[in-house]
Amino acid sequence: MRFTEHPILDFERVRGREVTIYFEGKPIKAYEGETIATALHAAGIRIFQHSTKKHRPRGLFCAIGKCSSCLMKVNGIPNVRTCITLVEEGMQIERQDEKPVLPKTSKPPKWKEPPRIEADVVVIGGGPAGMMAAINASDAGAKVVLLDENPMLGGQLVKQTHKFFGKREQFAGVRGIKIAEILSEELKKRDIEVFLETSAIMLLQDGDEKLVVGVRKNKELVEFKGKTVVVATGAMERMIPFENNDLPGVYGAGAIQTLMNTYGVKPGDRVLIVGAGNVGLILAYQLYQAGVKVEAIVEAMPKIGGYFVHAAKVRRLGIPILTRHTILRAEGKEKVERAVVAQLDENWNVVPGSEKVFEVDVIALAVGLRPSIELLHQIGCQIKYVPELGGHVVIRDSRMETTIKGIFVAGDSAEIEEATTAMLEGKIAGISAALAAGVASPGWLKEVEKTQRELEEFRSGPFGRKVLEGLKKVVVE
Amino acid sequence: MKGDIVIIGGGITGIALAHELARRGEDVVVLEKRFIGSGSTFRCGTGIRQQFGDEANVQVMKRSVELWKKYSEEYGFPFKQTGYLFLLYSEEEISQFKENISIQNRFGVPTKLITPEEAKEIVPLLDVSEVMAASWNPTDGKADPFHATTAFALHAQEMGARIYEYTEVKDLIIEKGEIKGVKTNKGTIKTGIVVNATNAWAKLINAMAKVPIRIPIEPYKHQAIITQPIKRDTINPMVISFKYEDSYLTQTDHGGIIGGVGYEVGPTYDLSPSYTFLREVTTYLSKIVPAIRELLILRTWAGFYAKTPDSNPAIGRINEIDEYYIAAGFSGHGFMMAPAVAEMLSDLITKGKSKLPIEWYDPYRFERGELRQKALQMG
Repeated sequence: MRFTEHPILDFERVRGREVTIYFEGKPIKAYEGETIATALHAAGIRIFQHSTKKHRPRGLFCAIGKCSSCLMKVNGIPNVRTCITLVEEGMQIERQDEKPVLPKTSKPPKWKEPPRIEADVVVIGGGPAGMMAAINASDAGAKVVLLDENPMLGGQLVKQTHKFFGKREQFAGVRGIKIAEILSEELKKRDIEVFLETSAIMLLQDGDEKLVVGVRKNKELVEFKGKTVVVATGAMERMIPFENNDLPGVYGAGAIQTLMNTYGVKPGDRVLIVGAGNVGLILAYQLYQAGVKVEAIVEAMPKIGGYFVHAAKVRRLGIPILTRHTILRAEGKEKVERAVVAQLDENWNVVPGSEKVFEVDVIALAVGLRPSIELLHQIGCQIKYVPELGGHVVIRDSRMETTIKGIFVAGDSAEIEEATTAMLEGKIAGISAALAAGVASPGWLKEVEKTQRELEEFRSGPFGRKVLEGLKKVVVE
Repeated sequence: MKGDIVIIGGGITGIALAHELARRGEDVVVLEKRFIGSGSTFRCGTGIRQQFGDEANVQVMKRSVELWKKYSEEYGFPFKQTGYLFLLYSEEEISQFKENISIQNRFGVPTKLITPEEAKEIVPLLDVSEVMAASWNPTDGKADPFHATTAFALHAQEMGARIYEYTEVKDLIIEKGEIKGVKTNKGTIKTGIVVNATNAWAKLINAMAKVPIRIPIEPYKHQAIITQPIKRDTINPMVISFKYEDSYLTQTDHGGIIGGVGYEVGPTYDLSPSYTFLREVTTYLSKIVPAIRELLILRTWAGFYAKTPDSNPAIGRINEIDEYYIAAGFSGHGFMMAPAVAEMLSDLITKGKSKLPIEWYDPYRFERGELRQKALQMG
């Protein structure tokens, strides 16, 4: 089901031309500019594939191209990530119920030299960190190119309908979706070339320079050559173990925001949220705004993890926040029909007889993120496991340069934090990358130092403590 | 610590040899600087074939296939005789393969020349528009290097062999031409017999032993890919095309397509992945099986071909050192040959001779300038 009314968003305005796609031969209404997964979900289709061995139903989970839960056969081609592939008129979509069969009609490809895009700084990722890196590298005098595998710029900002905190120059009081628009405009003004629907598949040293191998729209090879590279590839949603955690209807919190806030599709009717950090709390409010009932938020820790203001707002709406509670299992035949939760004692054991059943069709997991460091790992950056920062992260210096000269990192791919710090890190990495490329004047170092101070200030509150502890373990000079 | 026989190198060659020697009641120790299979075995293309162009390799590989079959059945690891299919694109190629086939047939390997249509029946997704014929032996096959090596190692240990991982050889103790022991990062092992089964690293151990003859073995980087899994039985045999840069591809037990091309870099000990390889492999493999273009590559990695000038290994005893043996320089064929190599080298160590044509791999041939006919090699 699609929203027609929303207090903040106007989907009628952004929806493109109506097209028809076919699911298992049956026509479905869709709009240009939305992904296959979105259109299927809007049509009430929850099962995208069955697992190959046990034939368990699987549906959407991350909605940003990072898990493999939404792979389907599209126009005969197997394993298409339907969550980041846009609909096209007449598309034939099929479920994958076993290991895929290759089409018999494929012709040998005609090899042609891939286009080679040359720049001073190549930025991988068009979220808050990547866009700020690109804008600032450009201002510092670098020729910049940016690529992102999603169909639109903004990263996770495109679904943040809430207003940001912090200082005015850090977009305080501005909604995330608006920040994405502002930054996209800034990119355009600076003539920064942007490649969307382009996945970076390989990061290589090429003489003194770097080569980023990209694949556009899953079929066309594009080479990006740069003196330096900023990796701002974001994060992916964590999963927690519980019975039936693979049932369609168990979604990452971000996936629900994507469906609801980016594409205007109702994720379900009744939701249980797991995790009372900021993401879980904000999600609860966004669901309420969209007219979806949130039955409860469960949190295994004894205290709410998110900001007090968010928690207070959620409580005022009458949404119970059950601390020291966890999810035991999801139940349902082919999709989530209910969730069973229980209380935990101080030793993290389930309190017998404390089970509660919630009749819900969606379970939202807001249990944290882990950095997407695949490219950094592949090229050989030194990596360390730091739980405070979300898991495996790269060693870097205070200017965000990794252990490989000329490779910079910023945002959630550096450590799990938030959009404001991602933007500040992006700025530091972008300018530093331009400096390292030898195109920025040394005066820009002052701007780096100024931004470092802002970042320090932003992290000085109680919520920055954990990240600062973690950073001690990975920031080297 | 001591052992009657110390094998240096815990790849498939060293492990299969330890297994065979233990089976014969010998006291044997394997020293591996990382973990078993970590050198080149776990990085290999998995193929096992008898389609060679000389009598020795055909005979040795025929025996090897018998042993692969026997042990896979006994130990329960995946070895499948799904065949090798060489695609031939010219009259010259066909006449060369006809000669090979006659040698193979003479030793009971049932290879035959088939038409492009017959090849397409075996692998329906092949593009045979330029193929003139194919050389097909259904008794060739492939095995899972992880399961196979582990199975041989576990059974070798059950029979008393000792396998020390993360144990790196630092030097050999040799007095008056006699081996007395092996120094490692974890201490010294007393022994009288050493086998150099380190393949890509063989020259380093030969230097420690001060081997007085020239045995040229150099490491060359070869890379491979594996794709997302697809339905089983899509590409059963190993498919080879010399026309397309010595490409090979087949489907693993799990369902992914594993493959590579002839592109090599070396001599080198560098194993970093390269874009040049990725471009070549995607170009050539999709010329052989066009539908492979619809699949995503999951991983790419590199391993070594430990190459000799004639692409045949050096297997035998070095007479000047009492007692030092070598089984190295497999030039990309170490995995497939291992069970037979284990048998013939065990024969040599325990009986002084072997029924298999071990003299073909004589390590002295380089010094004498008697190179063999180049072994048929791809990937």
